[in-house]
Amino acid sequence: MTSTPWSRRLLAAAGIFGLVFLTVPLLIVIPMSFSPARALTFPPPGFSLRWYQALFGDPRWMEAMSTSTIVAVLSSVAALVLGSLAAYGLRRGSFAGRDWAEGNFMSPLIVPTIIVAIALYLSLAKVGLLGSFVGLVAAHTVLNVPLVMMVMGVAVRDFDLRIEQVAWSLGASWSYTVIKVMLPNLAPSVFAAWIFAFIGSFDEVIVTSFIAGKYETVPKKMFNELILEVNPTITAVATLLIAVTVLALAAVTLVLGRAGKLGQTLVER
Amino acid sequence: MSDIRLEGVSKRYGAVAAADEVDLAVAQGEFVTILGPSGSGKTTLLSLIAGLNRPTAGRIFIGGRDVTDAPAQQRNIGLVFQSYALFPHMTVLENVLFPLGVRGIGGAAARTQALDALKLVRLDGLQDRRPSQLSGGQQQRVALARSIVFKPDILLLDEPLGALDRKLREELQVELKQLQRSLGVTTLLVTHDQEEALSLSDRIMVLDKGRTQQVAAPAEAYLRPANRFVAEFLGIANFVGLADGRTGLVRPERVRVGPTGINGGRPARVVETIYLGQMVRYHLALQGGEDSPVVAALPFVGKAFAAGDEVAVSWDTADIWPVP
Ligand SMILES: Nc1ncnc2c1ncn2[C@@H]1O[C@H](COP(=O)(O)OP(=O)(O)O)[C@@H](O)[C@H]1O
Ligand SMILES: [Mg+2]
Repeated sequence: MTSTPWSRRLLAAAGIFGLVFLTVPLLIVIPMSFSPARALTFPPPGFSLRWYQALFGDPRWMEAMSTSTIVAVLSSVAALVLGSLAAYGLRRGSFAGRDWAEGNFMSPLIVPTIIVAIALYLSLAKVGLLGSFVGLVAAHTVLNVPLVMMVMGVAVRDFDLRIEQVAWSLGASWSYTVIKVMLPNLAPSVFAAWIFAFIGSFDEVIVTSFIAGKYETVPKKMFNELILEVNPTITAVATLLIAVTVLALAAVTLVLGRAGKLGQTLVER
Repeated sequence: MSDIRLEGVSKRYGAVAAADEVDLAVAQGEFVTILGPSGSGKTTLLSLIAGLNRPTAGRIFIGGRDVTDAPAQQRNIGLVFQSYALFPHMTVLENVLFPLGVRGIGGAAARTQALDALKLVRLDGLQDRRPSQLSGGQQQRVALARSIVFKPDILLLDEPLGALDRKLREELQVELKQLQRSLGVTTLLVTHDQEEALSLSDRIMVLDKGRTQQVAAPAEAYLRPANRFVAEFLGIANFVGLADGRTGLVRPERVRVGPTGINGGRPARVVETIYLGQMVRYHLALQGGEDSPVVAALPFVGKAFAAGDEVAVSWDTADIWPVP
């Protein structure tokens, strides 16, 4: 056996360090949420579900949960529809200013979130939607359109244009072709894009803090709670958020894994 | 069934003219092949007729109707691509039912019609398979059945056999020809394979750089090409200088090769002998002349000349075609 070059060992060490760095907070937060102690202590002195009871017994947390869920459902569906249409137009179309349009759609992903937050604050204020529920959903939609576009852009690009062309020549309208021919084949990508948009909305805190007014989403409430007092309930919320995210991503992996090649292309990107 | 007419059809992509003032008339029930090298604009022409693309100039008529601005959906065209383009999530039968469903034909009538189409392409029994469970040849048969099941006015085929291996390709060529004749459907096929073009079509249209080079029956184009490009693209071309300064074309099959000193002919040396099964091909160097090397193709009957042999080469003046 040849000896491993030191540079590769260094790379491996860096990789492991990165992984530990990312997972240690999870390994601390999750056990702490099951702690019986009033103060945040690690390791937890025992096991109890009191912080979960506190969480589910608190109507303000429950309301934040329901706000978060409704906003995430509405904005992810809106982002899915708009982002998919944009991805289709950008991949299939050839028109002047296509690159410019794509850059514009993708900008919320590239520009620092705080800038997007200020931009949304100013523009929502201008149209009188600042602090409104509609404004909140609209803002989350704008934020998640790029995620949908990335996933659906790959899916549309990898879908043989000739299959669409044949469908048209056989007499099918554009929308009929999309619904009956494209969507059944792109379903795994649609699902993945929707999950990404859903999580993107459920986790969002910066823009929400700027524009949501009286509406409190779960992350926004967590942030506000941490400023006021350190209550262990927050570890239970965090654990639930982690669980939702992990389950959702696992579902995406599973679906894309089933989809085979398409999944590979997506994961490779 | 309808005729197709192109009048001065052009398609420009910036400075490139993918189709350059193309005129073509395909009669009702006729089988015409568009033949040209890769990039000559064959697919562009087909996509203009199918309505997947709009010409930058010219008009397109199908069955006398001006369809230049009609969407693909309203042209009633059967379309087959090299890549089959089957709907992957549907069974064979569902694929063939698709154009019927779009036209509001359903139930038992549609099913009968679809199964009949599958029978025509000899796929009966495979209707419940998915495209991924079929061989390339079978997939292309499904595509063919799907393109004829709704009785299209015309059939457009873009290198339909290009992805298949040689033997299967030859088999399917025969079937395609028979199918086309029995349906009597006006057909335009695109290929870069001159043998395919010569063997399938009533007429050939040779295309180069978006421009029509010649439209003629296969034998006509082969023996009396309109120019040097057609002469060379359709097969091996021997060019000989003529007394009037023009260039003459002699096809290899018209060249006679015999032992020296029997019945005249010019002395030559065999450079290479290539066995092609039924035929044997000689690459010959004429002696004492400035003429380019000559290729002869003769039926192979037991004994052949070997490389290095001295032979006598001749051809009839009637077999020389002065290339315009
Ligand atoms: N969408 C397009 N944009 C720019 N150029 C194109 C496009 N489609 C085809 N062309 C050009 O037009 C010419 C003909 O292409 P095509 O019709 O595909 O040829 P063929 O089918 O004979 O190989 C080529 O030079 C090709 O590069
Ligand atoms: Mg082509």
